[in-house]
Amino acid sequence: MPTPTYDVIIVGSGHSGGMAAGVLTAKGVRCLMLNAGPVVDFEKDRTNKAAHELPFRGFGKPGQHPHVFQANEFNANTWVDEKEIPYTQAANAPYNWVRVRLVGGRSLFWARQSFRLSDFEFKAADHDGFGENWPIRHDDLAPFYSRVEAQFRVVGRKEGWPQFPDGNFVDGGFDAAPDSECQKRLTAVANKMGMGVSRMRAAIGENGLASSVNLSIPNALATGKLDVVPNAVVRQVSVDKNTGKANGVIFLDRHTGREMHAKARVVVLAAGTLETTRLLLLSNLANSSGALGHYLIDQQYGCNVVASMPEARDGKATPQLIGGGLFMPRFRNLDKKEKRNFIRGYALPMNTGSSPDPRYFTEYGEALQKKLASYAGSCVQGSIFGEVLPRKENHVRLNKDQQDAWGIPTLHIDARYGDNERNLCKDAADTMEEMYTKAGLEMLVKSDKVNPPGYSIHELGTCRMGEDPKKSVLNKWNQCHDIPNLFVVDGSSFVTGGWQNPTMTILALSMRASEYLADQLADGNV
Amino acid sequence: MPIQRRRFFQSIAAASAASTLSAQSAAPTLPEKVATVAPETAAEPVQRFFTVQQRATLRRAASLLQPAVGALPGAIDAEAPEFLDFLLSVSPAPRQTLYRSGLDHLDSQANKLFQQPFSGLSAAQADQVLKPLIVAWTFDPPTDPRQRFLTELRADLRTATTNSAPYAKANANNSRRRRGPGGAGFYWLPIDPTRR
Repeated sequence: MPTPTYDVIIVGSGHSGGMAAGVLTAKGVRCLMLNAGPVVDFEKDRTNKAAHELPFRGFGKPGQHPHVFQANEFNANTWVDEKEIPYTQAANAPYNWVRVRLVGGRSLFWARQSFRLSDFEFKAADHDGFGENWPIRHDDLAPFYSRVEAQFRVVGRKEGWPQFPDGNFVDGGFDAAPDSECQKRLTAVANKMGMGVSRMRAAIGENGLASSVNLSIPNALATGKLDVVPNAVVRQVSVDKNTGKANGVIFLDRHTGREMHAKARVVVLAAGTLETTRLLLLSNLANSSGALGHYLIDQQYGCNVVASMPEARDGKATPQLIGGGLFMPRFRNLDKKEKRNFIRGYALPMNTGSSPDPRYFTEYGEALQKKLASYAGSCVQGSIFGEVLPRKENHVRLNKDQQDAWGIPTLHIDARYGDNERNLCKDAADTMEEMYTKAGLEMLVKSDKVNPPGYSIHELGTCRMGEDPKKSVLNKWNQCHDIPNLFVVDGSSFVTGGWQNPTMTILALSMRASEYLADQLADGNV
Repeated sequence: MPIQRRRFFQSIAAASAASTLSAQSAAPTLPEKVATVAPETAAEPVQRFFTVQQRATLRRAASLLQPAVGALPGAIDAEAPEFLDFLLSVSPAPRQTLYRSGLDHLDSQANKLFQQPFSGLSAAQADQVLKPLIVAWTFDPPTDPRQRFLTELRADLRTATTNSAPYAKANANNSRRRRGPGGAGFYWLPIDPTRR
């Protein structure tokens, strides 16, 4: 059987790979999608169980996922097994690399919070002088954001704030219920403290799922222009020695280890930030700038502050009194003259009307049960989405002394938060406490600590875009400066991360890059 | 044995196996799935992680930290201490150390304050040992190992109790609480695990 000739190989099948496949095949481009893991069958691969039926009563197998704080015994089999694909970390610098290798990747399980970056992020260096600007601004990406938001059915409330660009929101699904008394009180306090109060923006997708496996890949398959190969562990981008251009990828069958060489005119990497960078490092490509693997960023999550509304305790938590969420997008350092002990900013997501966790109290036994019953439904909880500065020293490199289950060198991650992140987080905790106190709530617990880097599952950078090939790996079209027929469309292209969940930006960038690529293919330029 | 003879016998064996398979698959109906019970309903767990003394301390702490409330079973009814003995036996070493030294500390405090083991303390006496070790927290647990131990013990007893079969049964019988802890969820089976 003759080997098929593909126009484009797409490595990865999550949000960015799915989007690339959808855009390219719609324009008649023949694509091969390779994914390192298997296809999920939502009917056969999961079953309803009670916690007591699980081998470890819901605790999970001890030590199975030491870096996946999100893992529990119900979902343990969906995460990458760290024993199969290990990684190393710098001493005293833990990094939570949270991975999914199923077809669809992490798009199967994301929290669906959907925001745009603003020019406070795209042109952050202009604003505060730190780091580099993106080579694009919000206006360049706005048309693509709009189309992605329609496809993923994003709901939200329009505000008209420059640091929180409004989206192309769909009707329905948005909680337009009148504010509860608690929401009104907190909003009034927040406004007085200089914060705008909005609502969470989220993709509602279709049938409760907003993933590449239901919103992108099926359409691509329907064109007849896409082949998907699961269980294909890509270990190298291959290069034509005569032209210096990419000509395909070498992959191993996950089960047998059999090596295969797939060929195409163009290679698109969409394996997720750190796997894409690992693949480029393994291929010894795209690093004339020396920036590959550097400027690893994510968003800091943590910093939890909890209070209780006294009037809502002891069974009095009516919907009129308490309930509903608040979302305060970035409000710090919007004015260049503002002087703080940190630059950039954070958003505060907050919910009201929840019940307390036992750890908020010092009681135990029956007294604890009474306390929990009394405080049920009366709690207000806030945390942060905090920006992390892109610093060169936060980087990844290959660890040739350690291989994964297929004999492929693994990644060494050296990333840590600095004073800027710590000060930002402390400011967030203090701000929430001030809000609660002024709103007449009773403080329960406060933490201004963050989880280790990586916890937000928003790893970004390490393959950043830029105008200057000496400082960046990709150009403004997500095209490799060094190899024009090599594109990177996942989160590794980010220059700054902002506080925003990056998914909408990843999708919009992938859509934009894929349309550019299709045009270049049609014109014979790649 | 000459190669040709060996192949002959191999082909005979294969044919025989094939005919057996064919006969089995011709059976008109498949047997019903064998009904089974959970091991906990048929046997007692062998406890091997904690010492006898530590086990006694753990049971006393469990009875106080997570007692039965109304119709809902407590940690002792849910055999949470016995389950934790198993869980800790397969846990990473730092957690094992935290638990062992934490239980020993409760006992030594009991001896220091009341000249008797923790397992023999009254509720009021035990409170003087337990209360100073419990701190309210969120996100970053206490760094003092004794406080950390009691933080984990309190949470683990609660989980081991509310996720037990007796609790699920009691919860199901109490419609007002059916949606509380100890519920059900989608369990992901191993998805095409790597066969290498």
